[in-house]
Amino acid sequence: MSEQMSRRNFLKSSAAAAALAAAPKMRGPWVINRRRQNTVVLRIQAFAHEAIQAVLPPFQESTGLTVQLDTGPSSGVEHLTEATTAYAAGDSPWDVVSDSDEGAPVEARAGWLEPLDGVIPQETWDDFPQGMRDAFPVWYGYDGAMYRVPHEFAVGYYFYRKDLIGEAPKTWEEVIEKGLEVTDSANNVWATADGLTKGALMFVYLAYLTSQTGGDIFAMDDGLANAARLLYEMINTYKIMPQDVINMNYDQQNELYMDDKVMFMRQWPFFQSVAEGNAAWYSPDKVAIALPPAGPMGGGSWWGGWGFTIPKLAPNMDGAKALIAYLTSNEVAPQLAAGQSWFVMPRTSILNAMAGTGNPIVDAMGMYADAGVIRPRPFHPRAAEAQIAVEDAISLYITKQATLQEALQTGKDLLAALE
Amino acid sequence: MVANVSPPQAVTRARSPQLTLNQRRYLAAALLLAPVILLRLFTTLYPFLQTIVLSFHEYNPAFTPRTYVGLENFEKIAADIVVKSSIEFTLIFVFGSTFFQLFFGVMVASLLNSRLRIPNFIRTINLIPWAIPMVVAAVGWRWMFDGNYGWIVDLLRRIGLQINWLTDPASARVAILIVAIWKSTPFVAVSILAGLQGVPEELYEAAKVDGANAWQSFWGITLPLIMPLMVTIGMFMLVWQLAVFDLPYTMTAGGPGFATSVLAYQVQQKVVTLNYGYASAISVIMFLIVGLIGALGLAAFRRVQVSM
Repeated sequence: MSEQMSRRNFLKSSAAAAALAAAPKMRGPWVINRRRQNTVVLRIQAFAHEAIQAVLPPFQESTGLTVQLDTGPSSGVEHLTEATTAYAAGDSPWDVVSDSDEGAPVEARAGWLEPLDGVIPQETWDDFPQGMRDAFPVWYGYDGAMYRVPHEFAVGYYFYRKDLIGEAPKTWEEVIEKGLEVTDSANNVWATADGLTKGALMFVYLAYLTSQTGGDIFAMDDGLANAARLLYEMINTYKIMPQDVINMNYDQQNELYMDDKVMFMRQWPFFQSVAEGNAAWYSPDKVAIALPPAGPMGGGSWWGGWGFTIPKLAPNMDGAKALIAYLTSNEVAPQLAAGQSWFVMPRTSILNAMAGTGNPIVDAMGMYADAGVIRPRPFHPRAAEAQIAVEDAISLYITKQATLQEALQTGKDLLAALE
Repeated sequence: MVANVSPPQAVTRARSPQLTLNQRRYLAAALLLAPVILLRLFTTLYPFLQTIVLSFHEYNPAFTPRTYVGLENFEKIAADIVVKSSIEFTLIFVFGSTFFQLFFGVMVASLLNSRLRIPNFIRTINLIPWAIPMVVAAVGWRWMFDGNYGWIVDLLRRIGLQINWLTDPASARVAILIVAIWKSTPFVAVSILAGLQGVPEELYEAAKVDGANAWQSFWGITLPLIMPLMVTIGMFMLVWQLAVFDLPYTMTAGGPGFATSVLAYQVQQKVVTLNYGYASAISVIMFLIVGLIGALGLAAFRRVQVSM
């Protein structure tokens, strides 16, 4: 018997059918189930993918796991912002993450990271030099546990034009003296330059100078005052550094150097690859590396860098642990370093593997380590905010909007607000 | 004896609540619109209320739980020189750029509306700055103002003017204003042009008969007639530009110092450093400023309408 369906009944039954169909898929936003068995997702910057992919086949063959690479940001603060929204929501799209100095300490304190003490074998930890291991409890661990393994060792190196000035100035006094000799501002030729644009680049340079004064940048002490004064004088008094550095990023700084407009400068190791990539211009004499100029407390340059972490909510925890142990092992770390200079660190295994290869960064790393000029990165539990506070305050002085004392007091007030 | 008789079926149906056709139509419409309304409320009202609630809390998602702090965030704003400076430049930026956008907008619109034979491609060229994405424009202008490579700096240097556009606090503010004015004047001009084309030609002819010159016609006829439109556009530009972020972020990142920092930039800075409570308090201040400017704009609009 056929019975015609009324419009009301049709709507009722359609709504019921739709609800039934949707029901199994409708979970609350708090129920996130990404569990996966055969795939491990590694989040790391795009420029490192090629080097990572080159070392993965043996791992994938032996474990049967497939490693997927996800592109992470190159800014530590940006990574922290993105990861926080996932982690705080009880989720992690990634199993292993390349994590920053700004992010990992916060995430470890928030309880979002998996402890790695039992995951990474002791021989891997022992492969790092004592100078790096001294910084582990602060930047890579928390409350007695390790949460991050370094895969980068970033030191600000002192590049200079050996072909134009012969030797780099060795002290702050020489920086000024030689700077006045070589600066020709009318033709846009400067003794030195640095990318100091906002977003913590000025902080990087101030921390570099403060490491040469023995000061504590987050205490806004005399050491920072001396560093700020030198920067002010180089820009405003002696004019050996262009005023535009205040609004300059690293690309602009590098361009100025490779345009033969800068005689010496602090820059991260990546500049070596940038310069070598400029084949028409590059020669080893143009990108020589010297020890940093000595300030009141001698030469100094701080190190920091990215490292691998495992989120506590990693969808494939076992796979994540296997992958992080593999990538940081004494066998694979040198292969990564050979594939991408970003992975070059003063680990015994890497230095042994790269000895005699003539890699300028490896040589410079040895020179800096032997001279004892490498300092730990200044620590603050709320690093991202504290860096901005220091930068905001000191830039007032550098741009003549406040006296040094006013700027230091402003910095103290801004930092006090973080406590 | 009363017979125990059940009421007929029809009577029972009549007593049950029945909806009229119109009511059923409204119900159906409400049901169909409900998902959209709920979605809209969820994406606008909920964040708005949540922002207000958060502004009274100390909240960092990495360090839960959130703590109720009353007005503490607002007290911090009152003492925070960075935020106060950002409020100052936000107001300078918003009022300064809107004023000049209207000023130049009227000039450009009058030119386009004049009897001069202006080719169509000129009218199109006028719109190009408005069509360029702000970030692209800001990067371009940043290079033009660059002290080492910028042609503006070079040109001025050749005539003896040395201006550190992006590194001197006052010049950096002016540079940001120049770009904002350049970018949005075409939009204002096109909007005003529509108003100018609605002014009856007879009024000008009558004024001409009475001996009025072009300047007097503009002050006596054109300006009063397009004033409601100018107030509307002005109000729109004020409110719209209050949320400016991309331009100062790209050109100066709020520097030098925090001379070109704006409120939206401060909100972003607090969000990326996970200071959600403080970011919300700054957002509430922004909302209050928008509300105040909106109210003033409405009052001005009514006044113009009444005086017309």
